[in-house]
Amino acid sequence: MTKLKEPVEFEEISRPKTRTRRVLSIQSHVVHGYVGNKAATFPLQYRSWDVDALNTVQFSNHPGYGSFSGFRSKAGDIDDILEKGLLNGLHMKYDAVMIGYLPCVESLKITGQRIGALCRQDPQIKWILDPVLGDNGKLYVAEEIVPIYKKILQNSGVFLVTPNQFEMEILTDVKIDSLDALWTSFEQFHQKYPKVDKIVVTSLEFPVSQEHAERYIYSACYDTTATSGRINYFKVPKIDAHFSGSGDLFNALLLDLVLPVDYTESIDLPNTLWTVLLLVDKILRRTLQLSYSQDPSTKSSVVINDLKLIQCQELLDPSCQIEEPFNAIKMPQESIK
Amino acid sequence: MPRLLATQSHVVHGYVGNKAATFPLQCLGWDVDCCNSVQFSNHTGYGMDRVFGNITEERDLDQLLTGVLGNFPHDYEALLSGYLPKKESVSCMGRHYVAYKKNNPGSVWLMDPVMGDEGQLYVDKDVIFEYKKLALSQDSEVDIITPNHFELEIMYGEKIDTTEQLRTAFQKLHKTVPVVIVTSCDPKMFGDSEYVYCVASMRGQSPMVLRVPLIKSYFTGVGDLFSALLLDRIYKLLSSSNTSLKLEDQVNDVLNVIQNVLKMTLNYAPNNHTAKIGNPMDMKDAELRIIESRDFYNSNTTPVVKRDFIYRKL
Repeated sequence: MTKLKEPVEFEEISRPKTRTRRVLSIQSHVVHGYVGNKAATFPLQYRSWDVDALNTVQFSNHPGYGSFSGFRSKAGDIDDILEKGLLNGLHMKYDAVMIGYLPCVESLKITGQRIGALCRQDPQIKWILDPVLGDNGKLYVAEEIVPIYKKILQNSGVFLVTPNQFEMEILTDVKIDSLDALWTSFEQFHQKYPKVDKIVVTSLEFPVSQEHAERYIYSACYDTTATSGRINYFKVPKIDAHFSGSGDLFNALLLDLVLPVDYTESIDLPNTLWTVLLLVDKILRRTLQLSYSQDPSTKSSVVINDLKLIQCQELLDPSCQIEEPFNAIKMPQESIK
Repeated sequence: MPRLLATQSHVVHGYVGNKAATFPLQCLGWDVDCCNSVQFSNHTGYGMDRVFGNITEERDLDQLLTGVLGNFPHDYEALLSGYLPKKESVSCMGRHYVAYKKNNPGSVWLMDPVMGDEGQLYVDKDVIFEYKKLALSQDSEVDIITPNHFELEIMYGEKIDTTEQLRTAFQKLHKTVPVVIVTSCDPKMFGDSEYVYCVASMRGQSPMVLRVPLIKSYFTGVGDLFSALLLDRIYKLLSSSNTSLKLEDQVNDVLNVIQNVLKMTLNYAPNNHTAKIGNPMDMKDAELRIIESRDFYNSNTTPVVKRDFIYRKL
């Protein structure tokens, strides 16, 4: 028998410098891949967020694969967890609540009401709403979902809403086919939903005149609380591929940067958006590169099913400096008419 | 890039089951595919009347795993299974994992036979039979099991009070399972109760005892974090060309991480050492600080000096 070793002393371990922020993220869950909560959770955790992930569905993988299996959480279960569990049972105090894909009218309705009431009760809690309706001209939720989102946006003090081009069009009834139309759309949005603080239209594309002209992805924002009263837009060169989950990643990173650790800092929304765009662009490019090198047969395909979030973790570190791509364009600020 | 499929519980708030396993493994470079056997608001230590959510019914779990393993039939280097609430869910997970292992013999399956602790069962009694079948049948596909003392006794079928009995238990289990790590052996066997004892045994090698100073508090999810980290370290051991790496060194590594996570957790608890089961506010403070411990998971880059917890041969 070996001699007893001296007991080791109890060494102190100091806390990280960054305060852990808390978010309740209500989105979908996939076992394989990175969309919904699976796309949002790791980046946020890596950036010092405690993520309470409430899963609205559990699927084997996202539908882009062609086949998938799984089930939706019942509206009653989602509400029990939220109301009886987190809010009344644990008295959770969140810095932010993020709502993404909800599978049915019933659960969106109830969840919208609950979170609305919660944010009214405690204005410190920031509500980030992604009005998940569809993309590229196609609705992928039931028609009845549209008026519920409209109602939520009319009645609740949503801190930040992040529609894509198609969703912005539906919410404002403006077809966005030019920068002018985008302006009109923002005006409409502000008129229809004056209680919403900040709007970021996450990705926009406009028809280009020449066939071989370089294509850009636009992103635009408007902060009703900023004194400048301007709409800002940015454009980055389009990557010729479709990435599932990029929007969910975008929202998560935007949440992180729009809610600084120190509450007292005022947020510069345009600059924040610019940082997020560069970071997402970098992650997508890395994903594309890694997808090619792994499987040469994917070279012809422009569909990237899974973001390489784990392999991009050093990019997700808050200390990581992202360089601007040489052809990204930070547009001059434009005033809202 | 290694990819892992983990079937265990999900809690919205807190860190047990998949919530305790996922982030550390992701930081270590794993793509973690989480199949959630339940979705609860929080873990059951808060009091059963304070747990909300639902168990994934066997039919749903079966369809889910059929979808995952149908679409990704060769994607996983490792399989992890932990808490499953019912006999049906254990047998369902077992059926799919066994089939996957047969088609992918190079993959590694760590099964944590979660049944109870300190003499108390916290799953249905008929779960026992399913775990025994998976681990003890002649053609078992399980590579690693991580029972605690109580679960080891169940798997072995007899009480274990002496190191002699423990050795015999390992002999029996090694007939079908190559690696057995007992996460917390009764300290009475070794004398000093100021330590937590962990015994690591690999088929054909002498079992090693490791011990860690006891932290007197109630933490949940430590076992889940342990099995996740262990799977990472054993996978690295098996796939490494460095033959001087030993099982006990890898387990020592894992225990170092766990110690640091517990110390970080205590650092945040307002009333150290006093968490009471059933009191939600106490339970909240005792949730593992998985996020704050981000820099500890990788032994090569951790800022904390590594300790030697290897105690002696069994």
